Amino acid sequence: MLGTFWKEVRGTLSRVVKHPYFGFILLGVALLIVRRFAELGMVSPSLYKSISSMMIYSIIALGFSLLLGYAGLASLGTAGFVGLGTYFIGHFSGTLQKPFGITLLVALGGAIVLGAVVGFVSLRIEGMYLAIITLGLSEILKEVFKSFTAFTNGVTGLTFRNFMMFGKPVPDAAVDQAIILVFVLVIIATLNIINSPTGRALLAMKNSDSAAQSMGIGLMKYRLLAFVLATVYAVIAGLLYMADIKFSIPGTWSLDFSLNILAAVVVGGAQSILGILLGVFMIFGLNMTVLQNIPFFRQYPDATWILSGVLIILVTMFYPGGLIRLLQALRLKIILLVRNLRKRWRKYRYGEDD
Amino acid sequence: MFEKLMWVLVSFFVVYFALDLLWFRKRAKRPIYQQRLINILLPIGILAGLGIAIKEMTVYLFLQIFLLNIAELCVLILATTGIVLIFKTSVTTNFAQGTIATVGAFTAAKLVIYLTKNTALTMVPKLALAMVASALTSFLIGLFVDTVIFRRSKYLSSVGKQMITMGLVLVLLGLMPLIFGLLPLTIEQFSYDGKMIQLTEEMILYVPDHNILTAIITVSMLTVLFLALRFTKWGLGVRATASNETVAGMMGVNTRLITALSWGIAGAFGGVAAYLYAPLGTQVTVSFMTSVQVNSFLASVLGGFSSFGGPIVGALLINLFASISSFFNSVWTSVIVYALVLILVMAKPLGLFGKKTAKKV
Amino acid sequence: MAKMIERMLLRFRLSGLGRLRSQKNMIESYLPIREEIVRQRSARAIQWMEFLHEAKMAPLGNAAGRPTATVAAAREAKVQALRDRYRLKEKALAQTRKRAEAKGPLSPEAIAGFEESGRKLVESRDRRIAAILAPSRRSSLSEAEALRKFLEVETEQTEILARKKAALRAKEEKHLDAIRKRAARQIAHLDGKIAALRKMVLERHPAQTGDADLPENVLLRLQNLSMRFGGLLAVDNLSFDVKQGEIFGLIGPNGAGKTTIFNCITRFYRPTSGEMFYRRNAVEVIRLNDFPVHQIIRQGIVRTFQNVELVWELSVLDNLLVAAHTVYRSGFFAQLLHTPGLRREENVLKAKALGVLQTLGLSAYAYAFPYGLPYGILKKIELARTLMANPRLIILDEPAAGLNDKETEELAVLIRKIRDDYKCTIFLVEHDMGLVMDICDTVCAISFGRMLAIGTPAAIQADPLVRAAYLGEAS
Repeated sequence: MLGTFWKEVRGTLSRVVKHPYFGFILLGVALLIVRRFAELGMVSPSLYKSISSMMIYSIIALGFSLLLGYAGLASLGTAGFVGLGTYFIGHFSGTLQKPFGITLLVALGGAIVLGAVVGFVSLRIEGMYLAIITLGLSEILKEVFKSFTAFTNGVTGLTFRNFMMFGKPVPDAAVDQAIILVFVLVIIATLNIINSPTGRALLAMKNSDSAAQSMGIGLMKYRLLAFVLATVYAVIAGLLYMADIKFSIPGTWSLDFSLNILAAVVVGGAQSILGILLGVFMIFGLNMTVLQNIPFFRQYPDATWILSGVLIILVTMFYPGGLIRLLQALRLKIILLVRNLRKRWRKYRYGEDD
Repeated sequence: MFEKLMWVLVSFFVVYFALDLLWFRKRAKRPIYQQRLINILLPIGILAGLGIAIKEMTVYLFLQIFLLNIAELCVLILATTGIVLIFKTSVTTNFAQGTIATVGAFTAAKLVIYLTKNTALTMVPKLALAMVASALTSFLIGLFVDTVIFRRSKYLSSVGKQMITMGLVLVLLGLMPLIFGLLPLTIEQFSYDGKMIQLTEEMILYVPDHNILTAIITVSMLTVLFLALRFTKWGLGVRATASNETVAGMMGVNTRLITALSWGIAGAFGGVAAYLYAPLGTQVTVSFMTSVQVNSFLASVLGGFSSFGGPIVGALLINLFASISSFFNSVWTSVIVYALVLILVMAKPLGLFGKKTAKKV
Repeated sequence: MAKMIERMLLRFRLSGLGRLRSQKNMIESYLPIREEIVRQRSARAIQWMEFLHEAKMAPLGNAAGRPTATVAAAREAKVQALRDRYRLKEKALAQTRKRAEAKGPLSPEAIAGFEESGRKLVESRDRRIAAILAPSRRSSLSEAEALRKFLEVETEQTEILARKKAALRAKEEKHLDAIRKRAARQIAHLDGKIAALRKMVLERHPAQTGDADLPENVLLRLQNLSMRFGGLLAVDNLSFDVKQGEIFGLIGPNGAGKTTIFNCITRFYRPTSGEMFYRRNAVEVIRLNDFPVHQIIRQGIVRTFQNVELVWELSVLDNLLVAAHTVYRSGFFAQLLHTPGLRREENVLKAKALGVLQTLGLSAYAYAFPYGLPYGILKKIELARTLMANPRLIILDEPAAGLNDKETEELAVLIRKIRDDYKCTIFLVEHDMGLVMDICDTVCAISFGRMLAIGTPAAIQADPLVRAAYLGEAS
């Protein structure tokens, strides 16, 4: 009986380990430990800063992958939406000193309205033209950031200092933890969406509008949903960005930023969460952690873009599934190798017929 | 009386448009009478709106502002034509158009510096040489991009090709500081003088020489292009490739050569545009063409990619919107222009002159 | 102006009617799934009870020398595993000996050594098997006493278990009953609303009826349908009926407007004029013109496409689940959180999808990706997909296009089977005359959007107009 009991326990354990969330929760715990190390001085603060920026970029990229990889809608409005998030928290929590709850409500409301508007546009304008139109929208937002000085402090940029929650200023440590928490939660939410009827409906819509409609998937609902989700992710990332970096100027939220996010998603693999994390590391992480320490790249900071660009071109031309496909193929090869070796060992040990 | 009539027309258009977005939109496809109605109402609405604005700012000021902005209009038209040319042959929207042109402008600026240092040429031949250099550099880059990248990715979807051009933007943005240095450069105008045009007794308009020159160059380039498209073998090939690349290839059209040439010519148009745009109060930096690029995209979407004339009208409209709205509100100019274009594109998703190709279910 | 307001009001009311009907359809199609979920839940509870019962009885049984069924099975499995392991060990020994022999003749000591090891293996195996099978007696009671106690407890516990099970079953029944009643109540409520709205529409807009009367056995009626593309009249004043439970074939030369008719029925095109009526159930008849494209499937009309339109990034099973999209009840937030409710729904629908795949002989492909599968299989998958949404009318657009003769024959059998098993009507467009004449009950021939003839396959084959249209004979 005890044996049965252990079997149950073992089964449950293996189920937990194999659960799709498990790896990402483990990643979150590992990041918390790294943060603790950074506090103790074992990891340099600048390295930790770049890790937390990577987490923020991953959140944006996850939202974008829902659009590009699942709904098949190419959008270049990302930068504008992230910028909007930074200004929401900078204005409401920073300048006006409102409680964080109100900021969050306003930001989410704004994101939903804006996402719905863009989604509505996407009902009429499709494919390549959508990228151009969203680029236009992003430019509008950038101009607004430049001109609407009461809200954004104009081209000089908005600095963000203290930030109140429950009537007390929030320490930086709490912000760092919040970034890790939101990062893990966003990954889990994305996983859930992907593996649910909504994710399948988005994919169906990407493959063929008419087939999707004939299966009862309303285009309006799902286009709007995809854009609202991407916008909400971007705005949340914007809030975190401002809480982390504490400074935002309109120049940051230009076409290059959107293109880099697109690069991360395309290079890593638009339909796999691990792929997106990999892509964010390739595009942003390598630059921030490794390349910045090379004198050549310190002299020409823009030269890192060459790498992103070449990666985009090569991946689009030769590996349409993203770099993660390469890793998956490698994994498959290793599994096959192990299996083959085992077979040969068995043949040696037990004779021909086994 | 005129103003009242115009207002009525504009408000009628606005009401109809709102209804169209909120109410008729719910249907799968617009009925034919609605399509016809919007085809009639849209130009009337636009013209009436422009009429009111011009009345408000007086015709004299309008003409003056238009003449001052004519260089920008020509630049926009050149850039837009390049984009449309590439769209015709490669069925993608080239995001790298502006960046390729920027490389040309950088080369031109460097050449001017070199020539000033090492030769005793006067201003005019120096600048002319620089312009040719700009066009040639962009031409070569366009050729290179097509032969190395696009020839191998013929079977990608349009969005995939578009992504490749976005990657190209990043590559060129990274390469330019390495080649040309980090400092912004300047390109001089041929002449800083201007001409006076006397229309009536109290109406005297001022046109800068640079604007006149830009207009002449643009018009001659466009004329040559259209004549080439109409009467040369290459033009026929472009038209055949645009209609169906595979079939054109089967019929013995050398699609490779035609695509490569189109990329090159589009690049050259961009190079000239960048060269003419640089002296207009900006410096040559890596991203100085971004606004022209965005505007020319919007112009092509507004005019519709299916013809060459449509995007040119789109560029004209965008320039008119910009010059008029800068008169009324100089801070929010670009926001107003973008918003207007977005609204118009929402009304005609395929552009003002776009044609729908039937999709089979 | 008044007329325009009137029309807007009519459209508003009709869309309200459509919404109510979709709600009703959602409740109806979700009911069996909800029932299955309740049954699964109580089945799991019963399993757990049995497990507890076993847990209680196992030590007593061991003490009494009467292992319970699970314990016995576990022992059996253990013995089997042991035997397997020793078999491998013996083989390994034999292999070692063979290799040693290959080097040269063995010395007598070596032979003795090998034989000794073989004997030892057998011995240790038997010893361990005996140890497993021997009753472990850790109890202080004597055997007879333990047996008596075991029997006593067993009768008592079995009784308790039976009682508990009965109680659970009763509870399940009650729960199911409550669910059915609630659904019935909701449906009745909606029915009332629908009837009221319908009456209002009929009263206020007598000219434009939202409904029509169809004969009892007619499922779909097209009435004076016309479709004009610019100057081209693709469908010209066409009327016909599709009866319930029949296989209806639509034939015609290329460009006759067959697919246009399909697209009108499934609302991809809006006809220039004409009405389409469809019988939702015994009492309700709806006008298809009032529904948007994505609502059509909720009325029980599912279609396939001429060229296969599957989702290439999803497995075949997931493709079938896409088609069950309208059956899900979980909202967006339930999906965001992956609530147990959603998981239960997924399980039920997955089981259903596997069942459908089995019916069509596609079980082997359930977890494969459609990319690269043979065309015939893809067509079958599309057919399987239509069955996921509880269809009443299946519209097949050239199901045999691109199939070879053998596959076409299989398809004919399959179409009949689907009609009989799933009790639905099938409406197909086809070029393959053999297939049409073989399986259709009624065939309608059209040419340039006009009806040539309608009737049984034999009558159509004999019709002079049809022959003229197909063969170009002068009639």
